[in-house]
Amino acid sequence: MFDYLTFGLLAQLFINGILFGTMYGLAAIGLSLIFGTMRIIFLSQGAVIILMAYCCYWLFTLFKIDPYLSIPIIGLAAMVLGAGIYQGLFRRAVKMEDKNITLLIAVGLMFLIENLMAVMWTPNPRSISTGYTSSSIPVGGLAISFTRLMGFVMAMLSTAGVTLFLKRTLVGKAVRAASEDIEAARLVGISPHWVNTIAFAIGIGLCGIAGIALSTTYPFDPYFGFIFSLKAMIALALGGLGSVFGALLGGIILGTLESWSSFFISGGWADAVSYGVFLLVLLFKPEGLLVRSVKKV
Amino acid sequence: MKNLKPITSVVLATLLLGLIPFVSDSEKSYLVYFLFLTFCHIVLTQGWNLVAGYTGQVSLGTHAFFALGAYTTAMIWRADLFSWENYYFDPVTMILSGLVPVIFALAIGIPLLSKLHGDYFALGTLGFGEILKVVCIKGGQFTGGPIGIMLPSSVYTTMRPHYWTALFLAFLATGVVYFMTKSRVGLALVAISEDETAASSSGIYILKYKVLAFAISAFLSGLCGSLYAYYLFQVSPEGFLILRWTLYPVLMCVIGGSGTVVGPILGSLLMTAVFTVTSIYLPGIHPIFSGIIIILVMLFMPNGIIRLWKKGV
Repeated sequence: MFDYLTFGLLAQLFINGILFGTMYGLAAIGLSLIFGTMRIIFLSQGAVIILMAYCCYWLFTLFKIDPYLSIPIIGLAAMVLGAGIYQGLFRRAVKMEDKNITLLIAVGLMFLIENLMAVMWTPNPRSISTGYTSSSIPVGGLAISFTRLMGFVMAMLSTAGVTLFLKRTLVGKAVRAASEDIEAARLVGISPHWVNTIAFAIGIGLCGIAGIALSTTYPFDPYFGFIFSLKAMIALALGGLGSVFGALLGGIILGTLESWSSFFISGGWADAVSYGVFLLVLLFKPEGLLVRSVKKV
Repeated sequence: MKNLKPITSVVLATLLLGLIPFVSDSEKSYLVYFLFLTFCHIVLTQGWNLVAGYTGQVSLGTHAFFALGAYTTAMIWRADLFSWENYYFDPVTMILSGLVPVIFALAIGIPLLSKLHGDYFALGTLGFGEILKVVCIKGGQFTGGPIGIMLPSSVYTTMRPHYWTALFLAFLATGVVYFMTKSRVGLALVAISEDETAASSSGIYILKYKVLAFAISAFLSGLCGSLYAYYLFQVSPEGFLILRWTLYPVLMCVIGGSGTVVGPILGSLLMTAVFTVTSIYLPGIHPIFSGIIIILVMLFMPNGIIRLWKKGV
């Protein structure tokens, strides 16, 4: 019964999964940075991605700015927005013991953004169509969609950028130090608010990139974001907290898993498969698939 | 006899509230519906309060247990399980609808709670809800798919039984939380939320108490789901398996003051009022205001209303 299974088909599914998974990965890196320094589960991540996708859509529709040319505008705007979200909403709450508060602020923000978008721009799905939307590049018998490939390249470049930033610059090192141990970081003179603002700016900046990648490849509507947040969280759990590369890889694993399960089982069940894997990972290897098991004291 | 004072006042308040359908026309007035919704929220909120407020385990799976209760009621009714004449407000059906979520709570609670802490437990329960949603949408004949199971709405005569049952369930939930927290169990739960290691070393079997609180919460949510199924007459993923049924109780509990008996009641009353008023006067844009209210309350009253005048409770 599996006659139709050719190597080409499997490879095509695999590539589609990887290309879509990098978008989960981008969102997961943002979540990982925010969770790492502040222990905040930023559930509104997906809603912000959709907001950025709308920005890209409007820049394209109203001002005829090509989606890929809008990367610097949206990236910068998203980083300012991220810093603003931290200073305005989380600065006070992050000091508190009770983690429900930050979770609920994130939920409130998600409600606010989603419904604001739905009221202002109607809940109808939108998509960007440019001259190259449907073009694809043939590689060894496989067709790779141009926009998805661009999404992949953008994801790779921004992951590399974030990794370099965290490893090579002093500010980046401060962010890493704060996510290792905030108390010790404070002792050596790292201001927690400064570090948190940076983490938020980068996290939301990545949302901007993910938003552009999403708006060029898929139709989106205001309520799509929550699913995206959940998927990013699954990617994060698969890859393990605290590793930028792990988060990206977690996203890619999830994307591949979904692409295969939606083909072999059926589209609707793909979500159940990814949540099932998520639960299994939480149960048996909560530190992430890609992290060596280390007992923290 | 100092201890009896809060109990008598709650019983009196319940009896007084029970008289409202005689005073106000239950079919025309909005008051009865509003209070019915408030009582439903109190049941869910007290359930969440027991797990998160007292035990410190943030669960995001209330809607899953709520829906399990509703689906159980609908399936028993549809399959005519006991070949009875009437399944409408049948106590056995309702109790079974509470017990099925308990079985699920034990099945996922024991492995999750023995391994996961804090945020991971929240994500795990959220994942459980999402799996359940996919299963219900894709379940074909068994779950009715995206349309869900329709119940014979011809049995509906008046809103009164809904009102009284909701009132009773809210009373029951509050009573369960009150008596659990006054007993050894409550002390153990609070000890776990304060410091797990210390609680464990003083001889508290942590997993048992965490699972107990989780199971009771699932039971209350299931009962409430069953009641709501009798109100909607259509048990569908869209009506029951939506995040609203998890987020509202969390919100109401935190706004009222989690880890207290009265806080969830205050929170439910206030937030149901806010949501009702905004949805009447600002139709279409009311979720925006809900979002703003959540953010403002969390920023300026993070410990809940009840702690505004009772410092250090």
